[in-house]
Amino acid sequence: MNAVALIARHEWRRLAVQRFAWTLAAVAVALMAWQFLLSLDAFVDLAPKLGGLKNAPGVTDLVAVPLLRSWSTLLVLLVPLVTMRAFAGERRAQTLPLLLASGVGNARIVLGKYAGALGFVLALTALVALMPLALGAGTALDYGKLAAASVGLALYAAALCAIGLACSAWTAQPALAAAAALAINSLLAAIDAGARLQGVENSAINYLALPTHLQPFLLGLVGSVDVVYFVLIVVVALALATRRLDTLRTGAD
Amino acid sequence: MNPAAPTLSLDDVGCVLAGRTVVRGLDLELRRGEVLGLLGVNGAGKSTTLRMIAGVLAPSGGRVRVGGEDLYERPELARRRIGYLPEVPPLHAELTPVEFLAFCARLRGLARGAVAAAVERAIERCELGEVRRRPIAALSKGFRQRVGLAQAIVHEPELIVLDEPASGLDPVQALKLRGLVRGLGEEHAVVLSTHVLPDVAACCDRVAILHRGELRHSGPVDAGAEAALRVGVARALHVVDWQSLGAVATAEAIDAHHWRLRLQSGIAVEAFARAAVERGFGLRELRIEDGSLERTFLAIAAADLPEQAA
Repeated sequence: MNAVALIARHEWRRLAVQRFAWTLAAVAVALMAWQFLLSLDAFVDLAPKLGGLKNAPGVTDLVAVPLLRSWSTLLVLLVPLVTMRAFAGERRAQTLPLLLASGVGNARIVLGKYAGALGFVLALTALVALMPLALGAGTALDYGKLAAASVGLALYAAALCAIGLACSAWTAQPALAAAAALAINSLLAAIDAGARLQGVENSAINYLALPTHLQPFLLGLVGSVDVVYFVLIVVVALALATRRLDTLRTGAD
Repeated sequence: MNPAAPTLSLDDVGCVLAGRTVVRGLDLELRRGEVLGLLGVNGAGKSTTLRMIAGVLAPSGGRVRVGGEDLYERPELARRRIGYLPEVPPLHAELTPVEFLAFCARLRGLARGAVAAAVERAIERCELGEVRRRPIAALSKGFRQRVGLAQAIVHEPELIVLDEPASGLDPVQALKLRGLVRGLGEEHAVVLSTHVLPDVAACCDRVAILHRGELRHSGPVDAGAEAALRVGVARALHVVDWQSLGAVATAEAIDAHHWRLRLQSGIAVEAFARAAVERGFGLRELRIEDGSLERTFLAIAAADLPEQAA
């Protein structure tokens, strides 16, 4: 097993024995389950009226996609709590030398930590996506749209995890790391809010915003521009985290 | 790797942290089978030196070589060949010692099939058997220190770097640790930092004294001819009585029944003791005082005091 996979698996094992991770997962999934049931209840009430409409929205548009959109909003808050300890926790507990002295390069340490955090977030995302998928047993779902939305959410989560990891590498205080990641996530989520209020939807500031690139996936469209946007965020954030570890090794901190 | 090269060599190594020179011009060599004690007062640069040797910190100047190869040109050397115990043991407290050591063994590049045996060996050497399945968070400080030591040796490295390994141990545990370090020194090269002089005298073959980031003294730890002997006798003796043994170079009375003696060059302590018993001096106590090391250390530590006061 290479060092990246080893570190990632170790991160999962550490999360699996932490009450914090289980509590976080339980609260997040319970919130989503509650919203899912409310949406489903509303849809059941509405379904008879929709039957008479031409091209009426189905359960995918009225239950599944709104649920996944809500999950994307919750991820802005949840991911910093998952990633905050990745490096900041190690530095506070003075355990980072274990990795730094292991001869594993900084980039591989960062990738291992990233894979560990992302694996946890993707597992939760899969649990949330399974809720609307369960409806497939009794009704017709738009699986193509659900698949596109899931891919979009995975890329969105990947970008948030990378930002969280970079913030965690930047400080020795997990709470500060979480706050910084939350601030950056919120900024990227709402940076074009003013422009949208003015009716501007195709400017440079819109391109910077996370929701601009998630929205097409939720509509069932997988665009290369949106994929590149998320990949760019991941690459830049992980490069910054690696650079930070380089700096720690030179003692310039 | 050059087999003739020393396990560790430091050539003119220096380190600048936050604009302050912490270590400068450090030259050291260490071979397999040697234990080097790094002595110094707090802030002397011991931990920084060990962090550079372990590959955690890059030197600002000079070279750290392991087996003749530059550690910072080939950082992967550290993976299998160096084991490092920092001052605060780097433990993942939510895991058990077995889980944690298995991870450390894999992280250090051991094959999956060799991990279980390596973990068992480390647990046995560090006497962790009774706590192997308890979470590390629930262990006492002494046990945690031992888990930290176990992670440094689990992959059987050529070079073991220990920063204040006896920190937090009770006297019994500290004594066992000395024995363990001595044993490790037979098969590996060991460098340890401490400011406990008896630890150095008991475990180390050589000592290097750092002060203000500079190497002020380097040499063998010799508890033989140069060290003083503290001797307790039943009879009231005079200096001439000691001189008549033909083995004593100097004798200094501490009180009526206690003396501080220095043996003549080449005289073994055993031969001196035999002669004292045969002459009926009433030998009751015989203890080697590592005074030479202590004096050297204190002289170096005190050297800058007037400047500091000024």
